[in-house]
Amino acid sequence: MADTIALPQVRPAGPAIEFLRIIPGVLLLAAVGYAGKLLEKNVGAYAKAHHWTFPNIEYVLWAILIGLVISNTVGVPQIFRSGVATYDFWLKAGIVLLGARFLLGDVLKLGGVSLALVAIEIVGAIAFMTFLGRAFKLKPKLSSLLAVGSAVCGVSAIIAAKGAIDADDEDSGFAIAAILALGALALFTFPLIGHGLHLSDHAYGTWSGLAVDNTAEALAAGALYSDAAAKQAALTKTARNAMIGFVVLAYAIYYAGRGQAKEVGNKALFLWQKFPKFVLGFLLISILATYHFFNKDQTAALANLSRWAFLLTFAGVGLRTNFREMRKQGLRPFAVGAIGEVVIAVFTLGLVIGAGKLFGF
Amino acid sequence: MSAEGKAASAPKKWLLTLDTWAVLAAFLAALLIRVGAFKHVPW
Repeated sequence: MADTIALPQVRPAGPAIEFLRIIPGVLLLAAVGYAGKLLEKNVGAYAKAHHWTFPNIEYVLWAILIGLVISNTVGVPQIFRSGVATYDFWLKAGIVLLGARFLLGDVLKLGGVSLALVAIEIVGAIAFMTFLGRAFKLKPKLSSLLAVGSAVCGVSAIIAAKGAIDADDEDSGFAIAAILALGALALFTFPLIGHGLHLSDHAYGTWSGLAVDNTAEALAAGALYSDAAAKQAALTKTARNAMIGFVVLAYAIYYAGRGQAKEVGNKALFLWQKFPKFVLGFLLISILATYHFFNKDQTAALANLSRWAFLLTFAGVGLRTNFREMRKQGLRPFAVGAIGEVVIAVFTLGLVIGAGKLFGF
Repeated sequence: MSAEGKAASAPKKWLLTLDTWAVLAAFLAALLIRVGAFKHVPW
């Protein structure tokens, strides 16, 4: 057994070594993202010059597709993996910088409507996923992880809940794989449905933010529709992310009450630890922009910087999606996730269309 | 647990979470743009 084999002591790497380790992967993210940008510019121009009928494919989709091809054919070599995993860092930094494009009034107005829709979505998604988990006889903690992942914010919520309810690594692996696979499918189906139903940018962005579980995929699904839809998807998804602490706390208390998880000591501290800090960063930049801390050129520079950060994120979405690995996780959790996601997507689409009629999206 | 597992699960002594680092990096970038260190970011 591995326990009985004397292995050399692995010393944790220092910050300088950690930093050097991420450089190759970050360069790969940049190369894939920039290739997507070049393809958007050149393929369209080439097709036009040769009088071909070719749809205008945005850099977002090119970057994701290139990443998917690399990940699912040659694979991502070990040397790049630490850096590719930084896509989440770029996503959060990009969302904070995106705050410069929102005035506080817009955030409060749109965020208020989004928050009401988010509350309804969370309650509905948790109830339905829990019912579905029971119907498919999944383990209760796996059902809870799928419910948290589909109700709140994908992978981050599953990781936060895993620790709080003492779930198995295997269960969280199942739940993360199901959420990521379904997020990848949403990237290709949501824009088609949105165009088919002639949804406005605002309605489509709100729908993406509500129904797509992982933040990177929600933003990418929005960006595939339009820039305005991406903005709205980011705002809605940020409102959804803000609820993570409350939902995870409720699950932790529930499982602790049944003797299946540790007691939660200081609930305020627990909420603060689970609260996504980038939501506060987004709000603070938005407040600064509202009070003209940045002039017009500076706001444009911040907006462009957030686009570059998202470019790295979208490249990472493709590069870390490996369908072979996902298939290994088994069919039942995926089936529960898939049925749940379709129902939640239809439910939230109805919510958005209803809210659109009420609030004039 | 194996030695490798123990090493992998040993808590890293990071003072801040990735989330907070991302916020700080974004604020630093915003500050640099505000003070004019970067006047234009192309897209």
